[in-house]
Amino acid sequence: MKPSLSSLIVVSLFLSISSATAEDKTSTPFAYTAPAFIKELDTRYPAQPPVPPSPPRYGGVLHFPATVRAFDPTVGYRPELALVWDTLTEWEATWYFPEVQRTPVIRKTLATSWEMVNPSTWIFKLRQGVKFHNRPPVNGREMTAEDVKYSYELLKDKAQYSTRAALVKAIHVVDKYTVKFELTLADPKFYLNVVDSLSPVIVPREAVEAPGGLAENPIGTGAFMLKDFVPGEGALLVRNPEYYLKDKDGRALPYVDAVRLIFTKDPATDMALFRTKQLDVMRLSTLDTLYAVIKTVPDLQLYRVPSYGWGDYGVSMAVDKAPFNDLRVRQALSMAINRDIVAEVINRGDAALYGPFPWALAGYTKRADYSYASLGPNYQYNPKKARELLAAAGYPNGFDMDLEWAEFQGWTFNEFVQLVARFFGDVGVRVKLKQLETSTWLNRVAGVQPFADTLAAASPIGAGPSFVDWVYLRYHSAFPRTVNRAGVGDSKLDDLLSTWRQDSGEKRPALQRAIWDHLRANVYRITTIVPPHYRLTQVYVHAGANPYCWFPGYCSYEAKTTWMTDKAPNRKFEKFAQ
Amino acid sequence: MRTYIARRILHGLLVLWLVSFAIFSLVRILPGDAVLMQLDQAASPTPEMLTRARQELGLDRPFLEQYRTWIAGVVRGDLGHSLTSRRPVTQELLKRVSLTSHLAVMSMIIALLIALPIGVLAAVRQDTAGDYVGRLFAILGLSLPDFWLATVAITFLSIWFQWMPPIGFAPIWEDPARNLSQLLIPALIIGARLAAVSMRMTRSSLLEVLRQDYIVTARAKGNRERAVIVRHALKNAFIPVVTIIGQQFSVLLGGTVIVEFIFLQPGVGSLLLDAVLLRDYTLIQGAVLFFAAVIVAMNLLVDLSYSWLDPRIRYR
Repeated sequence: MKPSLSSLIVVSLFLSISSATAEDKTSTPFAYTAPAFIKELDTRYPAQPPVPPSPPRYGGVLHFPATVRAFDPTVGYRPELALVWDTLTEWEATWYFPEVQRTPVIRKTLATSWEMVNPSTWIFKLRQGVKFHNRPPVNGREMTAEDVKYSYELLKDKAQYSTRAALVKAIHVVDKYTVKFELTLADPKFYLNVVDSLSPVIVPREAVEAPGGLAENPIGTGAFMLKDFVPGEGALLVRNPEYYLKDKDGRALPYVDAVRLIFTKDPATDMALFRTKQLDVMRLSTLDTLYAVIKTVPDLQLYRVPSYGWGDYGVSMAVDKAPFNDLRVRQALSMAINRDIVAEVINRGDAALYGPFPWALAGYTKRADYSYASLGPNYQYNPKKARELLAAAGYPNGFDMDLEWAEFQGWTFNEFVQLVARFFGDVGVRVKLKQLETSTWLNRVAGVQPFADTLAAASPIGAGPSFVDWVYLRYHSAFPRTVNRAGVGDSKLDDLLSTWRQDSGEKRPALQRAIWDHLRANVYRITTIVPPHYRLTQVYVHAGANPYCWFPGYCSYEAKTTWMTDKAPNRKFEKFAQ
Repeated sequence: MRTYIARRILHGLLVLWLVSFAIFSLVRILPGDAVLMQLDQAASPTPEMLTRARQELGLDRPFLEQYRTWIAGVVRGDLGHSLTSRRPVTQELLKRVSLTSHLAVMSMIIALLIALPIGVLAAVRQDTAGDYVGRLFAILGLSLPDFWLATVAITFLSIWFQWMPPIGFAPIWEDPARNLSQLLIPALIIGARLAAVSMRMTRSSLLEVLRQDYIVTARAKGNRERAVIVRHALKNAFIPVVTIIGQQFSVLLGGTVIVEFIFLQPGVGSLLLDAVLLRDYTLIQGAVLFFAAVIVAMNLLVDLSYSWLDPRIRYR
């Protein structure tokens, strides 16, 4: 049903747009070509939702969907693990929405202050009186600097924490509540690299070394304690009565008695569970599914948040070989794509343009800035210019290329690659679509295996609003292909990135904009659009202090500060299956 | 008979050993491995980190050494630890087998309750309205994919009745009401499909038997039609039906992945699919070995049942 409908849309759009000239399109700013439903969403669910009432109500069991295969941070990273294990600090979630808050704010969790001795040496002061969950073999003992040292040494070389922890050369215990970090590379903003999302969590040695390790002894300092984990089905986490964080009015957190994570795998199941109030919070990835749910649950609450950068649609190119090592070819391919049509086909027009990296990191803080004008000519649909560039590069009759892709949950790559192939075909580039098995595709996306010519994939993402993750690691030639996945080797870009890395902060915004300009001019990766995130909550749920944290469970603070009214279903929490 | 059973068990063990080696080899041909599949999209590990992670899981050791270690554990009843959850494979498998068995048994009961009466009726009243309705049901059951039926079922149940089966599996001996409300709809959907196949087989097999000389003789002796069918025809007609049911039951115990996903009742099928997607070698090996054992056992039981259904069949 869906592919055929999408095909019809593609055909009709081509027919209607083919009459318009390329020049007309390039001068039109990107706008939602939205049906009445999108307009209705804009008015009915304003970008900044109402502030939850106060005081919050304690109690209740919050249900949300998740996928956790092991409650063991030494095995793999999942955002939901932040419910049990804390990092030294965590992001205030409002940074997700740059119109509200441009500068990321860090919440002090296990660390209360930090000091730069020199750009390669940092001292962190720890919160006193923080206790691990009161369970054997740890039995609620206090968390100290020894635990931080142990955890970083345990996790820093694990693949899942590599982005941040690998920056740390050594950790020294100064006293019971003070640790000193020595870095592998000077970083005047190192404190941004111990925040949650891929930073090592603090674990107690006794639990790791006990039989079964953390999988059998899931003990941390987090707001919730794991009570029941049923692989494949879900998990039940209950409130940690000794949790140390308070809300802004000094009340104990978390508000809910328990959180039940439900490991769903099918969007139809998610929707059915939401309709029957067995899910309280959920995230949708398409406007179609949002429409289907709103029609049947009219009193739900929706936060429709522009994506920071996760979930975009793009094309990676083998930039180290012909013809993609020629800037003119990369520019031509980028200009051949009509991004308005991509937005229409992928998500009925409800999407934003996307550039080399998140808009906010380049200093664009208003949605109106997310425009063709800000991206420049390489991102504007101009098939005539694209043909000229190809001819100038020595390809007047185009060339043949492979475009590899795969089905991947949450994305609509099938329609995307067909569109791209059609656009490229229009300028003479003959595309052979090659569908890969998902794991093979993932290997190529991750830079573990090379791809032939081009690969349809989302852009490499970062954790949190960290420029290191999103840009520095992804484009600096010093890093291997598993990190710098596009294999970019550009000395001017390296200089810009190194200067940024060593700057104490004053020049960083200007440098980030300069890097943005360099990347959009060189088109090392073709980016197109990114759909927004739709977070739905039941009418009886108040999503605490940070309504912009759309990803259920991603920001642990959301689960800590969510509260439920007395209209919420009465649920037990002795075990998962209740 | 005992010799036959002993010989079949020995054959079964040989099959299981071959399966174990085949699956152990095949999973390692798949692209990617557990280390890569567990990475978060935002992670940027260096090749050295990936190598270290593989060493920790023992994936860097020679193929035959890995196989020897694993098969020695299997012989002792230890299927190893999952590469993703780090829990014992046996523990993970047993939990899912319990759910799958509940679903399989319930689906099979529903299928037989539908298939046998309709199949017999359709054969006895061949080319009547009842026969046509039965055949129509069978064609519908075969044509409608169970994942489609399941999606339609949960969508309409949730919209019209604001109801979905409750989350979290409860075994029937712990909470019968909850168990029934969880499994009845998925079992009906799976059962309807199975019933279609069994019903067609029952009908055609019974029709064939009803044309045999000994049935004519039974009728000529003045036996009532009911007695002819129940006493003389049905038992013989059931040999192909039992074969089909045995195969269906083996398949059911192997899991019904899509229905499990949709109804949030993750059985062995979902476990295996997840394991394949995550390249969890030990879990895949354990689950496939389990399937193979189930199929070997079911085939043996089906073969043994032939001699009960038809006394002329003897095993030596």
